[in-house]
Amino acid sequence: MKATHPDPIRVALFGMDARSLKTFELYLAGPCHGAAVVVVEDEAEIDLLDADFPTAGELLQSRWTAAPGRPIVLLSLQPLAIANTTYLAKPVNAEALMNTLNGLRPAPQTASPADTAPAPKTTATSEKHSGLVDEATPQGDAAVQTPSPPRPRRHPIESNEGGFTALLGVTGDIDFDDPKQIIAARFDPNLYFLSYAHEAFKRASEYGQAMQLHSAWKPVLIFPGSRQVWLDADDKQTRVFAGMEQKKNLAGAISLTPVDAAAVRATKAPDKFQDMDAFLWKLAIWTSKGRLPMTLNAQQPVYIRHWPNFTRLMMTPDALRVVALLAQGPRSPLEVAQSLNIRANYVFVVITACWSLGLLDQRTRSADYLVTPEPPKPDKKQDLLTKILNRLRGDAGKGGYA
Amino acid sequence: MSQYKIIFTGPVGAGKTTAIKSISDKDVVGTDVAASDMTKQRKASTTVAMDYGVMNLAGGEKIHLYGTPGQERFDFMWDILTTGGIGLILLLDNTRADPFQDLKFFLAAFDGFIQSTAVAIGITQTDISATPTLADYHQQLQALGIKPPVFAIDAREYNDVSLLVQALLYSLDPGLASDNP
Repeated sequence: MKATHPDPIRVALFGMDARSLKTFELYLAGPCHGAAVVVVEDEAEIDLLDADFPTAGELLQSRWTAAPGRPIVLLSLQPLAIANTTYLAKPVNAEALMNTLNGLRPAPQTASPADTAPAPKTTATSEKHSGLVDEATPQGDAAVQTPSPPRPRRHPIESNEGGFTALLGVTGDIDFDDPKQIIAARFDPNLYFLSYAHEAFKRASEYGQAMQLHSAWKPVLIFPGSRQVWLDADDKQTRVFAGMEQKKNLAGAISLTPVDAAAVRATKAPDKFQDMDAFLWKLAIWTSKGRLPMTLNAQQPVYIRHWPNFTRLMMTPDALRVVALLAQGPRSPLEVAQSLNIRANYVFVVITACWSLGLLDQRTRSADYLVTPEPPKPDKKQDLLTKILNRLRGDAGKGGYA
Repeated sequence: MSQYKIIFTGPVGAGKTTAIKSISDKDVVGTDVAASDMTKQRKASTTVAMDYGVMNLAGGEKIHLYGTPGQERFDFMWDILTTGGIGLILLLDNTRADPFQDLKFFLAAFDGFIQSTAVAIGITQTDISATPTLADYHQQLQALGIKPPVFAIDAREYNDVSLLVQALLYSLDPGLASDNP
């Protein structure tokens, strides 16, 4: 679709997957009549960021650093008031978007580099953006801001536990670099949808009865026989709802009613069914946002009953390492973080997810506090094992993503 | 240079050959022949000697991937195969008559090797047979006093096999840190 505007506003998009990005390009070209066009970040006048994206906070920080002074528009389902940004409510309409972009467009400058630059590249999947994915760093959430070209397999950053596309979310009120704040980084599960879903799954399983969980949001159908849930919402919507505290007035709207499994199932879109454990696991991750539930203490040992089925669950950073260490014996969440030298919020989120599935609990025996766990012993073949790990994660191997 | 290996084992039809193919950098050297005995009931051909694949590592090193023959009559080869092995991947077919018997058989057969290394267990065909559940496998393993990773896998999927092998590596050393986060 060709842009019809003689001088389109150049915008760079962040926090969108390939499909969203393509849709937005078409939206600008169609309903917005080409008055704005998507370009690579170096050529943009305005940054447009989906604030509901899980790593939006870090993306925003990176944009402030990379292009200080450039206007930033935040798209979100929830009202936002963040300094040096402009909020635009979703769903976006063309008029509001263009009013915002026109209002933010910098005044034209004569002979500016942008004016003399070659015609903007109207694709956001440039080589540079693709490169960002491959060059992801431990803080490299920027890696997910732009789509990568189709690959024969999922990129290892996305598919392996080290991938930072694992949608942790952010809690702006906690500094995970401050030891005092880390200990206090807990949440009350009873205030979140997680606890209602957990209780509903438990009841449906106990009674062997399909049930519908009503809330202020969309209904969740629970089929204990097949251990499935049905929900007409994508992950992005679910993540936003999972992170919202259920105030008293919302909590009052929550109820559980039995349904006829066969009759209901027949009327529902097959692609909206999810595994019950995988759903609960995601909810726990998006509720936790790197915090522990109130029932767990960061300084007391926790033990894991067995490994989660990681091939069918959303991965979070360092999840395999955390579970591997806990499988060797009980440790406190803080000891796990120290032993593995990883961020406490990455430890807390996987511990919370395991706890949500009943795989993990806190030790209550006094003897457990008397024994200081030994640090993990490095394997004699550590160099070799690291090379294999690197190879499996794609930086030294096959598939064209080295 | 030492020959380092990861051993893939499990009963006939569990997906050993396919799993090795999924992560190998070169075509798997297989020795499948037409099955002519009980094996025929489960698959048309079976591995009578071993499968072999390889992963090329940085610095020119290689890790060899060996699949053991599924038929018990070739068990004399297993000791030879495990020499130099860094760990065991045990694949179990959830549609078999008694997967727990398979579990116990292979854990016992490789007990010495597992004691000195580690094991990660992949359950295949869970889309065809949902039972036993992974929780059932964990219960069996708890009785045996071990707590290895157990994942449902599709042996054709690189990511499933890769995650299983990664879990094996972290079981050996949770302190491992990849250069690729």
